[in-house]
Amino acid sequence: MDASNQTLTPVESQRLAFERGRYTRPTFLVQLALVAILIACPLMFQSFRVMDVVVKIMIFAVAVASYDIIIGYTGIISFAHGMFFGLGAYAVGLVAYYSGSPHYYHILLGLLLAVAMAMVLAVVIAFFSLRVKAIFFAMMTLAVAEFAHILGYQWSSLTMGEDGVSFKMPGIMNVNWADGTILGIPLNGRLVTYYVILVISVLLFIGIVRFVRSPVGRVLKSIRDNEQRATALGYRIFRYRMLSTVFGSTIAAICGGLFAMWLNYVNPDTVLGIPLMLNILLMVIVGGLGTIYGGIVGAAFINIAETWLPDLQKVASKLFPGNEVMQRLTERWVLYFGILYVLVVLFFPKGVMGSLRDMATRRKAQAMRRD
Amino acid sequence: MTSQTASLAGGEKPALDMKQVAFWVVAGGIWLLPLIWIDPTIYMVLTVAGVAMGMLLFLTAVGLTIIFGLMDVLNLAHGAFFAWGAYVGFTILGALNGLGWVETGTLAQSILSVAISLAVALVVGGLWGLVVERLIISKIYGDHLKQILITVGASMIMAEIIKVIWGPNQEVMLVPAAFTGSYDIADVVINKFRVAAIVVGAAVYTGVMAVLLKTKLGIIIRAGVENREVVQALGYNITRIFTGVFAAGAALAAVGGSMWGIFREQINPAMGEENLIFALIVVIIGGMGSVTGSFLSAMMVGLAFNYVAFLMPKLALGVNILIMAIILLIRPWGLLGKE
Repeated sequence: MDASNQTLTPVESQRLAFERGRYTRPTFLVQLALVAILIACPLMFQSFRVMDVVVKIMIFAVAVASYDIIIGYTGIISFAHGMFFGLGAYAVGLVAYYSGSPHYYHILLGLLLAVAMAMVLAVVIAFFSLRVKAIFFAMMTLAVAEFAHILGYQWSSLTMGEDGVSFKMPGIMNVNWADGTILGIPLNGRLVTYYVILVISVLLFIGIVRFVRSPVGRVLKSIRDNEQRATALGYRIFRYRMLSTVFGSTIAAICGGLFAMWLNYVNPDTVLGIPLMLNILLMVIVGGLGTIYGGIVGAAFINIAETWLPDLQKVASKLFPGNEVMQRLTERWVLYFGILYVLVVLFFPKGVMGSLRDMATRRKAQAMRRD
Repeated sequence: MTSQTASLAGGEKPALDMKQVAFWVVAGGIWLLPLIWIDPTIYMVLTVAGVAMGMLLFLTAVGLTIIFGLMDVLNLAHGAFFAWGAYVGFTILGALNGLGWVETGTLAQSILSVAISLAVALVVGGLWGLVVERLIISKIYGDHLKQILITVGASMIMAEIIKVIWGPNQEVMLVPAAFTGSYDIADVVINKFRVAAIVVGAAVYTGVMAVLLKTKLGIIIRAGVENREVVQALGYNITRIFTGVFAAGAALAAVGGSMWGIFREQINPAMGEENLIFALIVVIIGGMGSVTGSFLSAMMVGLAFNYVAFLMPKLALGVNILIMAIILLIRPWGLLGKE
């Protein structure tokens, strides 16, 4: 025992300890429980609205986590994440639409196309704007994203403009497909699509976690924390930043594809607009920058709020009949998102997961002092 | 650095001049290039329209570039100030129309009504700038990430307040009587309000440059851009100057919004967002923090947009992005930016 410890470096022994406890630590159990809940969700609640929210939470949790790689782990602000999301959605939607009656491989083709286009576009954007200052990237991506939004509207020979593209899913993923019941649950296209999205999102999420824990992820963190030192250590920061944005953007495109698969419909405002981007940004802040798992918290919070906040309006019109200002104030729930935004950044900058982690480390430190 | 060494060592100066001459020759050549395809009269019309549009773009972008240059803040709430200016102008023009000044009325009344609405927009924009800077931005200087996030939040709030007060729909902006219609000089048709836009834009450019170059405040601001700590050490209250500059930038954005609203004859709550993109492109091309750079790039974008819109209407919306890409390839820091 002693002899083996001597040959191990501190990092190695730490890693060994981590490996040993991997399947018994509480976070692993939480992860398992989460996946179990997601699997059981359609069985527990048979309402479409709940299922819809859960799917959106899954998709956006991955999208936000992939955004967190860029903004939280690499410290680059991109406003094009919504655009990549939309790119993926349009890729799947348009391939399915123009194929007439799509087969399964059409959906796969759409996703592959989304990945390829997102990669190329992300490399081009990075090449143009990441060379000078990271802040350039924010401005550049904002401009490009708005251009994509305009393109979605104007290029109507391809995208059908404002009307959007509605398409059908193939085979057992089609909304109209139904085949009896399983365990008392009606087995239909929605349910199949739900589980397809569940599997892909969980895989993507694991992929993201593996990415940030890999050596590359560590280099990214070091660049974020001290650019000069990372350069001095011999890392080519431009390449690493580029890799990070390309990886994150590509996953966003896949998320967009999943979103299109669920909605069977895409239009410029729902998948390409600035509001979508702002939502993703808000989710990542609420969840906590640089935590990855914060994406789940943020996505859950915002999606649940977005689904049930508009009900507030009905309550208000009942409570204050005829009071127009009151009604307008409740109608504008984006206003409260904006206020939440400012408050979170000012007073709660680490977000939910970041604060929880802080608490955990503090408690650990206290326990160690007591010993 | 290079310009310093060049001015110190006299021998290098001619080479630098040659470079500048070459630049202007190339720029002029590109400017005249569309003449190959466009009839000279139409070219003149498009040029005036382009200059007017450039002036309006400059009005939108100047505040952004000043705020970035001095305070190192990327202010994404800029579009919201812009939209507020437009809506305030809309209200004032509506009120003045009640007096019979706007849609009917003399030239003096028309000019006065525009001037009053611009002045009120200036004040309201400045006040908003004051509030946003004091309440929010002053808390997070030096942290780009937080600044960007928080100004996004601020712009969401401000845009939503617009919707609460004025409603979410598009409104028709009144155009004062004397500014409707157009002049006709030797077949060159010039929209009257475009002339007003050029005058206001030129006045703002001259004014901003005069303040920056000729006044003591301007010296302090320029020194602050170079080295914040030294200015502070010399006893100037940089915090107050920051607040003032931010408010001024916001006020200029509001004026730009007001002008833009009259120019387009319509306003909607989303206009701030759209114009923020334009302003960002102009600032990126011009070089962040450079007023003259923004002026040049605004002209470039305005002119190019009009020529291209005439020659290839489909491409017009992409021409800004195209120019930006080309400039960034040649000079990643923009036309007159540093580094």
